[in-house]
Amino acid sequence: MFPKKSTSLIVAALCFCLVLTSFCPLAMAQKKTAPVEATPPPIREEFKFGKIDLEVLEQSDLLDSKLERDGLVLHDEPANAYLRRIGLSLVPKGLDLERVSWNFRVLRDPQPNAFALPNGSIYVTTGLIFLIDNESQLAAIIAHEMTHVMRRHTYVQNRSNRKKFLTMNIMAAVGTYAPGGIVGAVITVVTTVAPFILIATVYGYSRDLEREADLKGVDMMISAEYSPEEMVNVMKLLDKDIEGENIRLFYNDHPSLDERIKYLSSYLGARADKVTHQMELNRERAAYFGQMESVMRHDLQLAINAARFRSAVYLAQRLVDFHPDSENLFWLAEAYRTLGPRSPQLTEKELTNGAKKDAAKKRQKRTLEEEERELLETPVGKDNWQQHQQKAEEFYLRALNAENPVPAVHRGLGMLYEKLGRANDAASEYEKYIELAPTAIDRERIKRRIEALRRT
Amino acid sequence: MKLTNSVVFRLRALILVLATLLLIGFTSHSIHAQFLHPKIKSKETTIRTVVVFPAKVNVVRDSMKGPEGMAAESDELSARVEKTISEVLSKQKHVTTLSPSTAQSGQGDAQPNYNVADFQTKFDDLLPKIMKKRSDVKKGRFTMGDEVLNLNLDKGTDAIVFIRGEGKKLTGGKTAFTLLVGGVPAYLKLQIGIVDARNGEVLLYTDPIFGGDPTTAVDRLRKALEKGFKKLPPAQPTP
Repeated sequence: MFPKKSTSLIVAALCFCLVLTSFCPLAMAQKKTAPVEATPPPIREEFKFGKIDLEVLEQSDLLDSKLERDGLVLHDEPANAYLRRIGLSLVPKGLDLERVSWNFRVLRDPQPNAFALPNGSIYVTTGLIFLIDNESQLAAIIAHEMTHVMRRHTYVQNRSNRKKFLTMNIMAAVGTYAPGGIVGAVITVVTTVAPFILIATVYGYSRDLEREADLKGVDMMISAEYSPEEMVNVMKLLDKDIEGENIRLFYNDHPSLDERIKYLSSYLGARADKVTHQMELNRERAAYFGQMESVMRHDLQLAINAARFRSAVYLAQRLVDFHPDSENLFWLAEAYRTLGPRSPQLTEKELTNGAKKDAAKKRQKRTLEEEERELLETPVGKDNWQQHQQKAEEFYLRALNAENPVPAVHRGLGMLYEKLGRANDAASEYEKYIELAPTAIDRERIKRRIEALRRT
Repeated sequence: MKLTNSVVFRLRALILVLATLLLIGFTSHSIHAQFLHPKIKSKETTIRTVVVFPAKVNVVRDSMKGPEGMAAESDELSARVEKTISEVLSKQKHVTTLSPSTAQSGQGDAQPNYNVADFQTKFDDLLPKIMKKRSDVKKGRFTMGDEVLNLNLDKGTDAIVFIRGEGKKLTGGKTAFTLLVGGVPAYLKLQIGIVDARNGEVLLYTDPIFGGDPTTAVDRLRKALEKGFKKLPPAQPTP
């Protein structure tokens, strides 16, 4: 039995623990949601280059040349110049960073993503360019990425990873998460050169570093007179999961999107900056689409190649809404034709984690042709197919009457009619295509198709 | 029932023999796995000329602090694998390797580069499906479609060779650690697909593998490739 004094002490200690455990989470939660008063300076003054950092820098330069050599960088000078103009307007005045040379490039990748290399190379994918609405949103992304460079996040993260042995299973992780499509190619390239860069740049930095980049990005946007609230809007846009993919890249996963929207809104509130008028944003949207229309069309072809048919329909519709009586109608027709028997939108059930995992497994097993055959055996699949083929034909025909019709409309109609079993119509459309585009890259393929159709 | 010592000894020996046989079977399968399209087997299609697409071989240096990229070495190895495959196909199978130069599209210089990149990606998409059931190559299940014609390769090209690979080189510390505690030793695993240049059908799939430092084991690479293409029927040597 305990003496009375000891018992009181134990009771007191228990009470103290109870109070502590009750208030700690509250205190921590308060700390988490507390508005941020100030962000750190743009440069990490105390940073000194070590041998390991120089290795990272060398690998980054190699990565730049490899992305270029592997045909993943888009050679669209106006688009790259536009990115450069936005990027350079965000650089704080008088900033001189050791071993950083700013380069802004568009990456041919239908998966919405962006990343920065520590040498100052900023990459934005065509998929992301297509998804966003205006220049301020693009500036938000670039500002976020530039902060990673200015604050030396890659080096900091790499040093930390080496200490924590975090890169041990990166190859296995890449094998698990790398999806198909061109994004797969980009991730493979990054892995080849520098697995540690992959973790940080493609899958996201640590929670604190991402938060720092978000908040500092807002500061940079304000200095360059961009609408800072577009940083929040771009986060919301990035949460769209059109394809039901099982992959979560850093923009929508690390920290969680809800958390990012919360702290960014809180930070913007604390800064009490002006909210841009909707009319101004609409004007900005029109200018942005006008500037990036060719990149968006390029991305549509990539999305179709990567079997991202639902994204293709969604994005092509955006293009048609922007510029209706144009080549964009052809792209909408292409998107519907290739969507085939698939549903244009995934249901809530199909967007659950379990359903996404099952879909990913099926994608690994079945070829696209097998998937279409299976779907066509179902009444829903048949119905979808009929509807989409009708829509495709309607848009192809409208595209023929649009301003400056492209010869590829005839190729699209040919492919549509070939699938519908209208051999003669298909052959004549193909012939018109060859006649109008005698130097087309796919002339040999189409000629063979004509021969085969004429034989039947 | 109590087993006598001799019965226990015989059982152990039997289990050991079975395990060894299984191991040999598994190893030889993984080393010599190669699958041919029925058209190749029946000699309806003969591969005489190929275009070898740039190999994507990725080697990492595995140290006690995790894997590190070896970009320059990976590039060097990729080029060596491409060259060795051409030599093996030429010497053993009388297959000529053509230059992969593609016709100009008239859409600027970047287009042929994009085209090759997109086909490499298309093969990357198809590869997991092949890996799921490699034996289906024998049923002619896999194809890249007639889009291969968009590459506008030389008219005489019969097939396109796609090469992927991954390997690991161990540092001294990691080698010692692996010997003491266990783990995956240094290796190189290749995945090679030969695709019909006219209709995109996958004509051959093989995945040779060998143990040892992938950046220096030149002879082992050649031997592994020779075994990897063993089943491919040779084209008639040109007189």
